[in-house]
Amino acid sequence: MAKLETQHLYEGMYILSATLSDDARQKALDKITGGMTKRGGEVHKIFDQGRRKLAYEMEKRREGHYYLIYFSVPGASMPEMWRDYHLNEDLIRFMTLRTEKVPEKIEFPTVVV
Amino acid sequence: MYNKKGPGETLFSKKRKQCPFTAAGVKHIDYKDIETLSKFITERGKILPRRITGVTFQNQRTLCTAIKRARHMGLLPFVSEE
Repeated sequence: MAKLETQHLYEGMYILSATLSDDARQKALDKITGGMTKRGGEVHKIFDQGRRKLAYEMEKRREGHYYLIYFSVPGASMPEMWRDYHLNEDLIRFMTLRTEKVPEKIEFPTVVV
Repeated sequence: MYNKKGPGETLFSKKRKQCPFTAAGVKHIDYKDIETLSKFITERGKILPRRITGVTFQNQRTLCTAIKRARHMGLLPFVSEE
């Protein structure tokens, strides 16, 4: 019997190099989303958070282009995807976390200290 | 003579601060919410103790991981430069 692979919903934050041109950045993003669909996953939503100054220097870079991607892939394909990410030179840093649902937009309640 | 307001409360006892997250009704402390997270770190970038901010024990734990995640993604500094 074939192994039943359950899909989970993930939220991934990706920092792409800010020095890339618009075309090259789009290509790098397609490479990331392509890796998800290739492994039988699905991309639900992409939030382009734009260029941001990094809080500290990473790989000799001071700026990065932030993307937030909501996607679902079989859990077993996650390690393979991480390996691809580490080999990707345009990707400065990434983080993938399990989530419950895809938000409509990114907003937070105000907390008064 | 002084008024004793309740059990364990004397003239010099401080009123306990309410947790900012419970007051605002926040269920999930998100690492992307830098505006909120930056209120709970010092100028140097250190995480403030809950003794100062009044955050509950459980919320302090989730806040702590949220700040650490934000630091990893370059949203908050590990050490702030002067």
